[in-house]
Amino acid sequence: METSFAITGKGYVIVASDTTAARSIVKMKTDEDKIKVVSPHLLMSYSGEPGDTLQFAEYVERNLRLFHIRNNYSLRPSAAASWIRRSLAQSLRSRKPYSVNLMLGGFDVTADTPHLYWIDYLGTMTEVPFGAHGYGSYFALSLLDRYHDPEATLEEGLVTLKRCIDEVAKRLVVSPGKYKIKVVDKDGAREIEM
Amino acid sequence: MSRRYDSRTTIFSPEGRLYQIEYAMEAISHAGTVLGVLAKDGVVLAAEKKVTGKLLDLSGAKEGGYGGSGEKIFLLNSNVIGGVAGLTADANSLINYARSAAQQHLLQYNEDIPVELLAQRLCDMKQGYTQYGGLRPFGVSLLYAGYDQHYQFQLYHSDPSGNYSGWKATCIGANNGTAQSLLKQEYKDDIEVKAAISLVLKTMSKTMDSTTLGSEKLEFAVITLDPETKLPKAKIYKPDEIDELLQAEGLAKKEDDNAMKS
Amino acid sequence: MSIMEYNGGSVIAMVGKDCVAIASDLRLGNQALGISSNFQKIFPVTDRIYLGLPGLATDVTTLRETFRYRVNMYTIKEEREIEPETFAHLVSSTLYERRFGPYFIEPVMAGLSKSATSGFKPFIAATDLIGCLNFAKDFVVAGTASSKLYGVAEGLWEPDLEPDQLFETISQTMLNAVDRDAYSGWGVVVHVIEKDKVTTRTLKGRMD
Repeated sequence: METSFAITGKGYVIVASDTTAARSIVKMKTDEDKIKVVSPHLLMSYSGEPGDTLQFAEYVERNLRLFHIRNNYSLRPSAAASWIRRSLAQSLRSRKPYSVNLMLGGFDVTADTPHLYWIDYLGTMTEVPFGAHGYGSYFALSLLDRYHDPEATLEEGLVTLKRCIDEVAKRLVVSPGKYKIKVVDKDGAREIEM
Repeated sequence: MSRRYDSRTTIFSPEGRLYQIEYAMEAISHAGTVLGVLAKDGVVLAAEKKVTGKLLDLSGAKEGGYGGSGEKIFLLNSNVIGGVAGLTADANSLINYARSAAQQHLLQYNEDIPVELLAQRLCDMKQGYTQYGGLRPFGVSLLYAGYDQHYQFQLYHSDPSGNYSGWKATCIGANNGTAQSLLKQEYKDDIEVKAAISLVLKTMSKTMDSTTLGSEKLEFAVITLDPETKLPKAKIYKPDEIDELLQAEGLAKKEDDNAMKS
Repeated sequence: MSIMEYNGGSVIAMVGKDCVAIASDLRLGNQALGISSNFQKIFPVTDRIYLGLPGLATDVTTLRETFRYRVNMYTIKEEREIEPETFAHLVSSTLYERRFGPYFIEPVMAGLSKSATSGFKPFIAATDLIGCLNFAKDFVVAGTASSKLYGVAEGLWEPDLEPDQLFETISQTMLNAVDRDAYSGWGVVVHVIEKDKVTTRTLKGRMD
């Protein structure tokens, strides 16, 4: 089943998401990238109803890009998160709501701080030091309660992330196989191989 | 002959000019002076009030509101103050528009509107009135003094055509030429708020028609960062605070003048 | 499963002598799973009014933003701060606008209202999710622990508490009530509003 984690550390946010695209009980694809770089210093992992997910992610991506073109600067993570949350909250009370859950990791270049937002399809949003969506969250959150360190270096952060991935692989019946991992810090967003 | 191109704002003259816009600018150059100076750690605004008199009821300015007497300097948002020169009635409607635009931004992005974006919002509207038929352009120039996280302290000026530009120090309204050349001589790049306040008041006292400065002819505002919260703090001075400041700067009236006022 | 209990959370407000207090828990959950232990449900409206929004978390944020917008527009147009009584009716009409598709929030507000004769008067109120106002003289409660809060508050509250006594009373009420509620807890925040200052304290409580 779909799972995504994200953790903050000293000057960075790591976002990880599984790479399966499933239809019912069948894995259609195992190398799907479900983390979008929506602006130079902003990562967004998305999961939920297939179709809605990509549609909504592209809607966000294009709107943030439009803002950048119009105003010559990108929205700060907190402003982008508030805008995205509002879009979901408005969609919730529409005829056909988007059913998409997000983890939004960004680096605020104006204040030099990393930010991580946990957002669900209802438009619930909260800033967290670490978070997870999907069945993996039941295992990962308790692990992160124990091992998360907001002052950890990127290497240490990745070790903690590996713990979560391994635990989910070990205990979850319908565990996903592969993960894509991206990190955002003061130099922007990039993918990391594990 | 020029009459043919006067009556409508939408029509160019053969020389490629829009007369109505130029007339609007002319109206502004007779209005009370507004002066702004951008410092390293803040922005200072001062304005000359034109509507004065013994019988004018200013009790509203003393309590409540955002401070100031509400003729020239206004709080547009918690991080931006605006100074206006031109038709007061036009200015009021622009200020209302600016305040709701700032609130719309706060609602949509959960952050205070960046200063340039607010200037752009108003200029979009002002430009519209130079193009669509049957309408008169706004007879107002504005100075925007503000702070945002992207470009820190900023000072902008916008005119009736919908042009806007950023400044280190500038002046609009009557005698703006004199003031600007004074500012050009005196301005230093690393000026601090305290020195900027002196510079603004000194320049004001030289450009204003009256010989002495006092709260009945002056509005004054400063935006700085709150040392504790690191958030922008806009302060529009109340009349007695202005007199106090002038006293401290040695620009106040003589004592006997004060006695006459009361 | 009721939608009012989906995210969990509770708020209480109490009247004291020339002061009021409002407190909430800090939990945000997805049913039984805890997501955040720092989810604020109480927001300052003016220097003398605080608003608590327990209920569905998406609507907590939406309503918080809506009320901030409407209060700011009120302040701009009226050139003065809103009074608690006026604000209570703003809350009520905002919720009733969505009478047949409501926000799943039961607001609680606390403030001091300016009286013409003798300075400031304590004010508390709560509404249901469609804006039916309840002006109480002692205390108001809302949220997943509301039934427990009623019990403890009924036992601990007494009239004319001084600010520090009121703080103790509301803190004990909150801490003990949320311990009996699975969906509330993970820390408590308490605001005590007096005429010239607001004191905000965060309490740890049982973090399990």
